[in-house]
Amino acid sequence: MIWRFTLRRLAVGLVQLSVLIVAVFFLIRLLPADPVSRFVGLNASPEAYALAEQSLGLDLPALEQFEVFLFGDDEEVGLVGGELGTSWVTGSSVNQEIRQYLPVTLELITLSFLIAVGLGVPIGVLGAVNPGGAADKGTLIYGLFAGSQPEFSWGIIFIFVFFVVLGIAPGPLGRLSPLTDPPDFVTGAITIDALLAGRVDIFLEALWYLSLPILTLSFVLSGPIIKMVRENVAQTMNADFMFYGQAAGLPRGILARDALRAAFAPALTLIGILFGFMIGGAVLIESIFSISGLGQYAIRSILAFDYPAIQGVVLTISALTLLIYLAIDVCQALLDPRVSV
Amino acid sequence: MADSTNTVLSARGLSVQYANESPTLSDINMDIAAGEIVGLTGSSGSGKSTLAYALLGLTRRGAQITNGEIYFGRNDLLALSDVELEDIRGRDIALIVQNPRSALHPMYQVGRQISRVYQTHRGSGGAEAHQRAIEMLRLVGINDPERRADAFVHELSGGMAQRVLIALALSTSPKLLIADEPTSGLDVTVQAQFLDTMWETSRKTGTAMVLVTQEPGILANYCDRVIELDAGRVSKDVSASEFVSTSMLHTTQATSSGQGEGQNRAPLLKVEGLRKTFPLRGTKKVVQAVDDMSLSLFAGESVGLVGESGSGKSTVGRCLLKLLDSDAGKITFDGQDLGVVSGEALRRVRQRIQIVQQDPYDSFDPRWTIEKSLLDPLEIHQIVPPTEARAAIEEGLKRVSVDASVLGRRPKDLSAGILQRVAIARALLMKPDFLVLDEPTSMLAPQDRHIILDVLKRLRTELGLSYLLISHDLTSVASACDRVVVMYLGQVVEQGPTTEIFEKPVHPYTKALIGAHLEENPKTRRVDRTDRVDLEGEIPSPIDLPVGCYLATRCPQATEACDKERQVLSSFSSHHDVRCMRAGQLELDKAS
Repeated sequence: MIWRFTLRRLAVGLVQLSVLIVAVFFLIRLLPADPVSRFVGLNASPEAYALAEQSLGLDLPALEQFEVFLFGDDEEVGLVGGELGTSWVTGSSVNQEIRQYLPVTLELITLSFLIAVGLGVPIGVLGAVNPGGAADKGTLIYGLFAGSQPEFSWGIIFIFVFFVVLGIAPGPLGRLSPLTDPPDFVTGAITIDALLAGRVDIFLEALWYLSLPILTLSFVLSGPIIKMVRENVAQTMNADFMFYGQAAGLPRGILARDALRAAFAPALTLIGILFGFMIGGAVLIESIFSISGLGQYAIRSILAFDYPAIQGVVLTISALTLLIYLAIDVCQALLDPRVSV
Repeated sequence: MADSTNTVLSARGLSVQYANESPTLSDINMDIAAGEIVGLTGSSGSGKSTLAYALLGLTRRGAQITNGEIYFGRNDLLALSDVELEDIRGRDIALIVQNPRSALHPMYQVGRQISRVYQTHRGSGGAEAHQRAIEMLRLVGINDPERRADAFVHELSGGMAQRVLIALALSTSPKLLIADEPTSGLDVTVQAQFLDTMWETSRKTGTAMVLVTQEPGILANYCDRVIELDAGRVSKDVSASEFVSTSMLHTTQATSSGQGEGQNRAPLLKVEGLRKTFPLRGTKKVVQAVDDMSLSLFAGESVGLVGESGSGKSTVGRCLLKLLDSDAGKITFDGQDLGVVSGEALRRVRQRIQIVQQDPYDSFDPRWTIEKSLLDPLEIHQIVPPTEARAAIEEGLKRVSVDASVLGRRPKDLSAGILQRVAIARALLMKPDFLVLDEPTSMLAPQDRHIILDVLKRLRTELGLSYLLISHDLTSVASACDRVVVMYLGQVVEQGPTTEIFEKPVHPYTKALIGAHLEENPKTRRVDRTDRVDLEGEIPSPIDLPVGCYLATRCPQATEACDKERQVLSSFSSHHDVRCMRAGQLELDKAS
């Protein structure tokens, strides 16, 4: 049952992605932009311009360009062959570049979510169990603060406080000290690569350098998570089945587990949506802390009118988001039998 | 009453209070003897549910037991620690509640919910507990308990979920079972089956029971003793028969004003071959709500339309007002074919046919005063000149015995019973020829129910009002209708004069329905009757209907032919039609 659901959803996702590919491909070509002169300069001779236009493939009619993008030409295999094309800026394959930048972002936001969920869930539960208590009041004050400013401003404040004033955190210099040799590229996530290379020192250094960006992101993310968990748990505790469980003399441990299970399902959706959003949305944090992740790559490509790279990024983010939503739905279905799949 | 040697539980000076409010319960004293079934009754808000929970040492959030002792065995429950109380709850004193579907956890299989309570209290292994769960499900009459144990609560009907809850409650063999309105929301036949099971189990196992209910029928049929609460105090503690004989609630017996002579005139309303289905989203299947429905109603006649939930009776009512378009069939009202009227003519028809809905709070705008709600339709339909409108609505209220002082109030300030009478008054202000009453009493307390029925009966004689009373409550129909139409799964299975249907029902479904009717008389208790016709199992799905007789799967008298042959409504005697090919045969069998 769940397999059939997953397959069906994957098929639907494929259709969605196809529509998206078409839309993105033609929409960026509708932009009032001239990528060719960006590469050859405004003063280039008409011949040089024509040559550049040809080498970028922009001399062909849009439909033929799309055909090349899908099915490739003499040099490339195209999207059906699994290739996103070659970046106009760097001249290397978009696949490879995404392969390099995506894990950086995933690492950053995964670690941030682990912390945000790890703290947000217990705090939310405490707030619900003991309304008006310390955890609840703290959440309220924190909510007023955290929600009042965007995440990049918190990033800057944290850098100022912890690096400039207190000097207890590293500067915003990326994922490692510039003097350290990074471990061999395996997964692209530096903490994992360090462990794979057997370098615990690099692993710890990476965590150290990532601590401020993670602190910033998890600080902002835990707000909605705490609120959601608090509301759900509070609602569950008032539910008839909890009262009945008490009347049936079930021990407190079992009752607590019952409440969490019922409350967690809706919170899961929120976490998934936030995660999907953050793949592209962490860009400001990446910029502030000089972490070259997918968001940075996307901005760079857009500013440079690097069409193949833009297409690649949009496709990657959409595909990942679809997969995450699917994963949430499958988890929901496993957790809650009322969700029909 | 209870002598001290076999008392299971006794409460002394019990008081419960919600924060900063006047006490919900004050100084309650009561005793429950082993094996005794005690009815706990009182109007809504009298504190009976609060008392039921308090007997377990429990309160809803925000409330507190402020005073008193509850002796259970040698222990005072209120003096025990939480952990000690946990042991007693569910093991020695068990609870079943009104809303079984929300009382069970939505994400665990029901079998597991039973077995974990059993495991908690009897310290058995998992496999043994699972066996116990299945055994209990079988005991409470659930077919195929092995499969049902793996079901989740949203997959069960209300009746089935209630059985699961009682299986859970009784799995630990408690000494006392507290049942808080366990059958509200269940259909009459399911209610009777369920209460029978509970009664039999209690008699078999010697479990004492506290049965919270507002229904005098349930008190009379299943209880040994009745405790009545009034504003949080015990106002009566008497035997069931004494309670019923002193209670002001007396059903007026079936009355038929014998409108037979009217049958030569053309009927005011005629329905022929009405059919209504609802498409099932995302599939080609349909839900069949009404099929091959025919009905005639003469001016001045009152007809009752009865059937359990899902029988299509409300859909019929809505089709009559053209609130729903029917798929097939013809509805004629005073010579007009309602299928073709539209525009101004339809507006006229809608003024002449009025409807009173089930929930009065839903049929009034909560922000409007009663006066505005009553004046509005008068203006729209220009029934009376504006200068006389005020007098007309006061007159209208008087007709339903409601004081004119309600005019300045808003719906939330009125009780459901009063508001429902205002709803009837509003419908009558339109000077309708015909009134559809869709379950007008089912949301009301028994007292209010009687008042509404009295009003209807009076209007019938005073104004010669014709109405169709849609109800699952046979008592209402018996007392306020000349004729009865019985529906099952969208079809009319039997129709005839009220007295004949109630005294000599022919169709097995009608028999079961009437058998399930709990009379407010301890001398004719259902559990003492031997000639009961009980239906088996559950009502089939209106999506995949049986090929032959719709009742065949549940009918104790079904033969092989019943499974295959579609049944037709045919005349049984004058003015009495039955949809059962074995009707004549069954009567002969009975006679011999």
